[in-house]
Amino acid sequence: MRTIKHLSIPLLLLVSWLLSACAAPIAEAPVGEAAPTVKTLVVGLAEAPLTLDPADHRNRTTETVIRNMFDGLVTRDTRNGVHLELAESAELLDPVTWEFKLRRGVKFHDGSEMTADDVVFTFNRIIQENMIEYPEPHTSPRKGLIAPLQEVEKVDDYTVRLHLSAPWPPAMQLFVHQQVVPQAYLEAVGTKGFVEQPIGAGPFKFVSGQLDDQIVMERFDDYWGGAPTLPPVGPACVDRAIFRVIPEASTRVAALLAGEVHIIQAVPPELVGALMQSPDVVVKTAPGTRPKWVELNVNQPPFDNKLVRQALNHLVDKDLIIEAIYEGRAVPLPGVLSPFNDFADPSLSPYPYDIDRGLALLAEAGITDANGDGKLDWEGTTWSFVIDTIEEHRQLGEAVVSQLQQAGVDANLRLWEYSVVRPMLLAGERTAYLGDWGDSAFDPVGHMEAKWHGIVEGSPYGRGNFSGYNNPRVNELIVAGETETNVDKRREIYNEAQAILYEEAPAIFLILPEEVEASRANVTNWEPASDSRINLHDVCLE
Amino acid sequence: MRLVKILERLLAAIPIMIGVAVIVFLFMRLTPGDPVDIMMGQGGMVTAGEIERLRSEFNLDKPLHEQLALFLFGLLRGDMGNSFTKQRPVAQLIAERLPATIELALGAMLFGLLVAFPIGIISAVRQNSLTDRLSMAGAFLGISMPPFWLGILLILIFSVHLKWLPVQGRIGADVHLTTVTGFYVLDSILTGNREALISSLRHLVLPSVTLGAAVAAIVARVLRSSMLECLRSDYVKLARAKGAGEFSAVAKHALRNALIPTVTVVGLQVGVLLGGNMIVEAVFGWPGLGRLVVDAIFARDFPLVQGAVMVYAFTFVAANLIVDVLYTYLNPKIEM
Repeated sequence: MRTIKHLSIPLLLLVSWLLSACAAPIAEAPVGEAAPTVKTLVVGLAEAPLTLDPADHRNRTTETVIRNMFDGLVTRDTRNGVHLELAESAELLDPVTWEFKLRRGVKFHDGSEMTADDVVFTFNRIIQENMIEYPEPHTSPRKGLIAPLQEVEKVDDYTVRLHLSAPWPPAMQLFVHQQVVPQAYLEAVGTKGFVEQPIGAGPFKFVSGQLDDQIVMERFDDYWGGAPTLPPVGPACVDRAIFRVIPEASTRVAALLAGEVHIIQAVPPELVGALMQSPDVVVKTAPGTRPKWVELNVNQPPFDNKLVRQALNHLVDKDLIIEAIYEGRAVPLPGVLSPFNDFADPSLSPYPYDIDRGLALLAEAGITDANGDGKLDWEGTTWSFVIDTIEEHRQLGEAVVSQLQQAGVDANLRLWEYSVVRPMLLAGERTAYLGDWGDSAFDPVGHMEAKWHGIVEGSPYGRGNFSGYNNPRVNELIVAGETETNVDKRREIYNEAQAILYEEAPAIFLILPEEVEASRANVTNWEPASDSRINLHDVCLE
Repeated sequence: MRLVKILERLLAAIPIMIGVAVIVFLFMRLTPGDPVDIMMGQGGMVTAGEIERLRSEFNLDKPLHEQLALFLFGLLRGDMGNSFTKQRPVAQLIAERLPATIELALGAMLFGLLVAFPIGIISAVRQNSLTDRLSMAGAFLGISMPPFWLGILLILIFSVHLKWLPVQGRIGADVHLTTVTGFYVLDSILTGNREALISSLRHLVLPSVTLGAAVAAIVARVLRSSMLECLRSDYVKLARAKGAGEFSAVAKHALRNALIPTVTVVGLQVGVLLGGNMIVEAVFGWPGLGRLVVDAIFARDFPLVQGAVMVYAFTFVAANLIVDVLYTYLNPKIEM
């Protein structure tokens, strides 16, 4: 009993303190905390950023957060247009040399001025070996993104030259993803100090945060203004911006509905309806960059017959899927490239949904309903196969399988974890795989090499080729497209490759879903970007 | 004497921990999926040199026995290695997130016990009454409801519609708190930050209820059945015959003895709380160890998974030890 008596006094004090706190208005927060007039914008992220070091990751979400604190030589608008950012001008001196003139008077968050030394240091930190010393010396995982970049040269304090190993047409699209860091500060504090208190030349400066929880940023009042071709120019509109990690989609949607966050990303199609019903929420979309296909193992009969592959393309009703699952927020794929890719061939149109045509092609390949049981037969037995996929594509997979089954094809869906199924797919051990492949640079380079070039062990060629497709002519065209600097010639090259791939159909070309994001109605001047970037510089709160 | 026994038990835990370390190391290596492949993702070109370099940086190019030896020697030095994906020491990452997980587990345990004890005792004392039936039906429901579903349901009711409690996170996005220990409730008290205290307590309610529902249900059922047994026992009848009041018979004589099996179950619930928190942390955006482990497993971040499993294993061992120590207090006849 004595213990209880001893405890009762502090307990009573605690309870009374809590009650008084409940009664006190939030505005009476202790000095140093956010005043009520401070405009704070909260963004709900689907995954946690991995680091705040622009050179030490290979992850879209990480880049989304980082690019609000750091600027690059160039940037991208919400579609695929590249704009000058920290660079005042960019000129291709010869096919392998880019010269960038830098803006003067650009300040980092510590007040120091950005010069050519910082740009040289930034790129060297990415392309040179073991330049990141924490926690163990290692090379930037972003090196491969700008693999042709061999050397960075300072011409004067405000001019740098980037020397390439070979002509590299998509260079500008890839430079968008490299952000400039302050050399003096980083060398003084080391990588460890830098990731704990990062400093850039972006519109917001880091305040506090834990990567798995939230990152708090404050407006940088001395910001140089941002790309002049992407108004508004000047300091950011809101006082504070917070990225909060909410991995579960339903919780993200609930947080938006409850007003706890202002913008959310990656809204799954099935939750869009719930958001649309709320007058306080606005749903916005941008053309996506993740085309989805069912890749068919072209080395496994009967998929080694192109008639079978073409037939399956006719048996899937893409428009119905887009309406039923994506509520119209997707487009059918006209072949291997997204229709929004800079080099997509506009003359190609999606395979039309035509069951009769599909069945006729299958019959031509020897696949018919021989025993009249409603299921197609091949070589004397029911023709059945499995389409592998991952949880992310389950709903789409179920729809595809259901449509194939309606046409008499005994297809079934099997769910995997991506890292488990990937080696089997590359080894040609599976039959069909429903997946996607990101294309945020809007250029065929990187994408064509990975997906549609034959697999070449130990090279970037075919690293995502799950169909086993290997056409020497297409391989040749893909390699030629990498270094051709004449846009018209390059377009011819890719048009020919796309035409062959369309005809040979190593995959059922499905759809390109839009990026669906949502905000509170009081958020203005915000548009979702195709590359999923959230640029908070322009966003305001009413 | 008890202290010596505790030390003996702690020493006996060392081979268990080494066994766990070896098993988790081998299981992670046997699981298909290459961490370097996953890390490279889909964007841009990836050269063979780059892949080789990363494999070498992560020691994945070394033979398995060499990797295991490096891992075990590292552990002996207190070094769990560096996370592949986050490029930070594993120990640091775990230390940052462990307070969040423990805070949630304590909240869930507190909720579970606060609900379970009155229900368990009243159900036993009023066996077969309406209260008993309703309580046991509730307990059955508590065990049956998946935390994912319960969590979303609570969010919809209390956060979206009623707007009483926050949806997710550990503290309000705009509430400033200087962290001292990493336990937000405690830190708010230590720094005298009332706004942070209110905010962190409000954020703790729904995840604690979600995680603690199963604990409450299981503990209530076990407590009820052991209470029933004790209430029918001779020593309680004797106590009543000697004139002990109902409260004394129930609380002093029956409850104390009924606590022994209950404590065992509560100890086992530490496992439920740790295992269940992966789901609850994901639902409520709670930045704890569970979410870190799930992400690490999908990314095949071997050092991070290994480190986290070691922490889980140690917690299990420690919880069992605490239960054994508690036995000796509840019933001095029991020896460790």
